[in-house]
Amino acid sequence: MSYEAIALMMFASMMVMLITGQRVFGAIGAVAVAAAVLMWGGGGFELAFSSAMKLMRWYPLLTLPLFIYMGYMMSESGIADDLYEMFHIWSGGLRGGLAVGTILLMVAISAMNGLSVAGMAIGATIAMPELLRRGYDKIMVTGVIQAGSSLGILVPPSVVLVLYGMIARAPVGQLWLAGAIPGLMMASMFIAYIVIRCRLQPSLGPVLPAAERAQITWGDKLRSLRAGVWPLLIFFSMTGLFVMGYTSLVESSAVGAVAATLAALFKGRLSFRVLEATARKTLGISCMFMWIILAALCFGAVFDGLGAVRALESLFTEKLGLGPWEILILMQLTYLILGTFLDDTAMLVIVAPLFVPLVKALGFDLVWYGVLYTITCQVAYMTPPFGYNLFLMRAMAPPEIGITDIYRSVIPFVGVMVLALVLVMAFPQIALWLPGLVYGN
Amino acid sequence: MPPIARAYVRWIDRINRAVGRAAMWGIFALIGVLFWSAISKAAFTPSIWTLEAAQFLMVAYYLLGGPYSMQTGDHVRMDLAYSRWSPRTRAAVDSVTVLFLIFYLGFLLAGGISSTIYSIEFGERARSLWRPYMWPIKVVMCVAIALMALQAIAQLIRNIAEARGTPLPSALDPARDHVGEGAQ
Repeated sequence: MSYEAIALMMFASMMVMLITGQRVFGAIGAVAVAAAVLMWGGGGFELAFSSAMKLMRWYPLLTLPLFIYMGYMMSESGIADDLYEMFHIWSGGLRGGLAVGTILLMVAISAMNGLSVAGMAIGATIAMPELLRRGYDKIMVTGVIQAGSSLGILVPPSVVLVLYGMIARAPVGQLWLAGAIPGLMMASMFIAYIVIRCRLQPSLGPVLPAAERAQITWGDKLRSLRAGVWPLLIFFSMTGLFVMGYTSLVESSAVGAVAATLAALFKGRLSFRVLEATARKTLGISCMFMWIILAALCFGAVFDGLGAVRALESLFTEKLGLGPWEILILMQLTYLILGTFLDDTAMLVIVAPLFVPLVKALGFDLVWYGVLYTITCQVAYMTPPFGYNLFLMRAMAPPEIGITDIYRSVIPFVGVMVLALVLVMAFPQIALWLPGLVYGN
Repeated sequence: MPPIARAYVRWIDRINRAVGRAAMWGIFALIGVLFWSAISKAAFTPSIWTLEAAQFLMVAYYLLGGPYSMQTGDHVRMDLAYSRWSPRTRAAVDSVTVLFLIFYLGFLLAGGISSTIYSIEFGERARSLWRPYMWPIKVVMCVAIALMALQAIAQLIRNIAEARGTPLPSALDPARDHVGEGAQ
């Protein structure tokens, strides 16, 4: 059997196992070891465990459980409630203003955390009930929270860019800075979409009643700004100290975890119950991610042994005779399509090692490609049938929001994200200007 | 189900729940070690052991926590079709597909044991300034993977019982164990 056929067989059998609903890590791992043993016999059986050792040496992954911990701690600490209140007061007078405020809240959360879990937890528990109570359209609200929280992996800090950095051997500091402006640009595009949509259909996002607005004095408005202090402190102690070179990447995530715990302590929210619940949820999500990465590394090692990179390169350049840009666009399309069906973390670990050498050989900038990759990942997080944000949304959303509502809600926002992707592709400077400024060329 | 199978599931559930809930607190050890690393670098000489100690902690954390997170259903599944089936159909399909999971864990364990034996025989040390011996963490990894495999077999028994219409009681405490998405 040719190597291409084996690779296709592996993907096909993984799909079958995933569709029958077995745990994702089991499906990926079983296909990987079966292929390894079939091809390399006795020598193949150690591959699964050597992936575990490889995973241990990927020390930047230490940031993953710490960011998860931090996200849950932040949603317990009450920082987010105050922030929501602040945006509520300032933007409530606008049509769709509370949805705009929610996007801004998500940007602030994203600047403090590297995953979308934190934004989802905070959005679903704090912003969502409030928006629904105020008569906002439920599909709009669901979309806003999913799209907003996905900014967590683009706005620094970002765990996805850490993973990408390990695979591409690109500096994480530059990658994080490269994600900043595209992240803010995407947030502004979400806001523009909400404002325009609510102008056309005012029923989607009603203005706060005038009587209620009259009660808000300028004193209230200014006092509410104090909510921004903690996020700024956390952002500075984490990303600031790291970019300035005082702390290493993993140390900075520990500093962030401590800062979030302190925030909860000062707000009087830290109890044994909170600590226990946070530790419990952190363990669950960390185990889920780590076991998937463990299995995906093994899968990737088999692909590597098959020479999949060279096969892919010869397919694109020699057999199809494509130019660099056509290949790049084709790769993003492939990734978008695969990303909707397959597990997003596993995709990153399996597909990135295939694409990155190709991108490098074509002469593109790997830091810039990291941003493209992350945006594609964001889309993958939100597109059915497989997306973490969809799972989280379903687990956290109130019962009146059905699965079809959740699926429909992401459509316009995915459109906006694809537009952002095209913009960053066409104008690399959007991503590369800031790291160039800070680190020099 | 035969009493021996019921007893097996009860004991494995109990052991893994206890191990997992102990591992759960490891996150604070991880934060502590890395925070110490940041402080020691700023205040005096940087510690040479922190990064590796954190790596060992992390591996032990997620591997030992694995079986408990399987009990609570935290491992995601692609549920396009799965979520539409009745609990009994799900259990029936799972009792076949979980065999693949056990197969994977079996290979993981076999590789682990062979690697651990090598480390003990040759006194393998990490290539770093600190140079810790590698076998202790590998032993922990093997134990954790073995527990994961035992848990997967317990899930298999559970699935068969449910498919036959006689579900086994859960070992989880609804007040203290948050139940995740993929729980069956």
